[in-house]
Amino acid sequence: MVRSVPGWLRVAAIVFIAATLIVLLAPLIVVIGASVSESQFISFPPQNFSLRWYAAVLSSSAYLSAALISLQIALAVTVTATLVGGAAAIALHRRQLPGSEVLATLFLSPLVLPTIIYAIGMLMFWSATFGPVSPVVLWLGHSVIALPYVVRTTLAVLSESDPALEEAARTMGANRLQRLWLVVVPQCLPGLAAGAFFAFNISFDEAVLSLFLRKPGLTTLPVQIYGQLEFSPDPSVAAVSSLMIAITVVLILVIDRMLGLKRVASV
Amino acid sequence: MSDRAENLLLALPGLLLLALAFFLPIGQMMLLSLSGPDGPTLEHFARFLGDSYYLGILWRTVRLSLIITAICAVIGFPLAYIMARVGPRLRMWLVIAVILPLMTSVVVRTFGWMVLLSRSGLVPELLRDMGLVGRSFGLMQTETAIVIGMVQVLLPFMTLSILGVVTRIEIRLEEAARTMGCSFLQTMRAVVLPLSLPGIVAGSLLVFTLSASSFVTPNLLGGARIQVLASSIYKSVTQSLEWPFAAAQAVILFVGILLVLVPYIRLSGARHG
Repeated sequence: MVRSVPGWLRVAAIVFIAATLIVLLAPLIVVIGASVSESQFISFPPQNFSLRWYAAVLSSSAYLSAALISLQIALAVTVTATLVGGAAAIALHRRQLPGSEVLATLFLSPLVLPTIIYAIGMLMFWSATFGPVSPVVLWLGHSVIALPYVVRTTLAVLSESDPALEEAARTMGANRLQRLWLVVVPQCLPGLAAGAFFAFNISFDEAVLSLFLRKPGLTTLPVQIYGQLEFSPDPSVAAVSSLMIAITVVLILVIDRMLGLKRVASV
Repeated sequence: MSDRAENLLLALPGLLLLALAFFLPIGQMMLLSLSGPDGPTLEHFARFLGDSYYLGILWRTVRLSLIITAICAVIGFPLAYIMARVGPRLRMWLVIAVILPLMTSVVVRTFGWMVLLSRSGLVPELLRDMGLVGRSFGLMQTETAIVIGMVQVLLPFMTLSILGVVTRIEIRLEEAARTMGCSFLQTMRAVVLPLSLPGIVAGSLLVFTLSASSFVTPNLLGGARIQVLASSIYKSVTQSLEWPFAAAQAVILFVGILLVLVPYIRLSGARHG
């Protein structure tokens, strides 16, 4: 097939792919480039290589405390979304609950609702009901946004599992807990792990919800960066952003190990 | 304990989380959009829909979202097709190149565009060197900047939606068309494009929804002058503190998106059932 593609079209395809990749990756490359510049101002291409802005970030209490808050919330969200979403996925996979189609839609609905609408709801509901916004609200909100990803990755893995295994365990006399823990959960592990890394990434990078729920002392890393960009961007923002890109690269590599990127891409 | 009870127990924490932290807050927000000092009222909606300033914001949101969706589809379809038809190694690298920006924080990517599009940035400088624009040309705080930034942010969603469908198209169908005398472009038009349509439609809906409700990129690239619905909502929440009015705008955004989504769900539901 490919052999019969006209030559000019092949050249066009190569040019098109190259141009698209440049556009897709340009913002990331520019941020990383600007972060290693010696210059006082954000500049790309960088002028004179220097790591001074990384040093500035690592000695800035504003960045460090924001990073700590982001990390704490992301870890709490990862645990919550993985446990809750994984359990829900197992239940949904068995299709024995009344209205399991509706339930599946419910669990995926946070994907469809725009975050900004959800963010307003969270802000109004929690501040009207319980007073000032606390880290607990961010934890719950991020967990809701991350939940569908865990449900999806776990369901994807379960759909390829063998239902006969659980039946075999039953006839061999395993009780419910043993079947769940020794047969079903091990089969879910790649999906659960990939979902966990997704959840961490989503929470760590989430900006809109955290922006609406921000208050002094509750600034996550994306909110800190957003604030800097609005008022006084300097190359230290580029350094922080580059660190966040690095974390994303690591997470993608791990997810690829767990589930395979091709599977993730076509889920 | 029955099987059903076990499954209910497994799903329960998730249902509780969704009820308390998802459906309840959204319900509360919808109620707030109808609340006035003396009982329920539609005045917040009337205020939005009766003011040409806000209607202008709504129109800009719809217009930009349509442009962004169209550009994403035009770039996303050939990109997905090429990704589906190249060798496995190259495909792997292309998938990484699409997923890496997708998983990077929107704030970080928008920052990259701020550097590229600013007056002394690479893009205006290149255009200036090519003699296409004048000395004082800048792209920041324009609708063009919003479109450029949003296309990059949302293109991965479109590409992956189409890729999922294109990879399932039998390559033998294309070969058959070629054997029957179709040129490459005719095969694309008569075979590949119609079969990819579900992916293109799904991707377009996703991109339209996300771009109509996106906030970070338009706000940073467009500035305070060029408001879209999402930045107007943010302003009502954080600056003028008119929460019921902000809630009403969110409901208008939500209803607008539903108006686009529901006919599609009906259509695809009818096809499956």
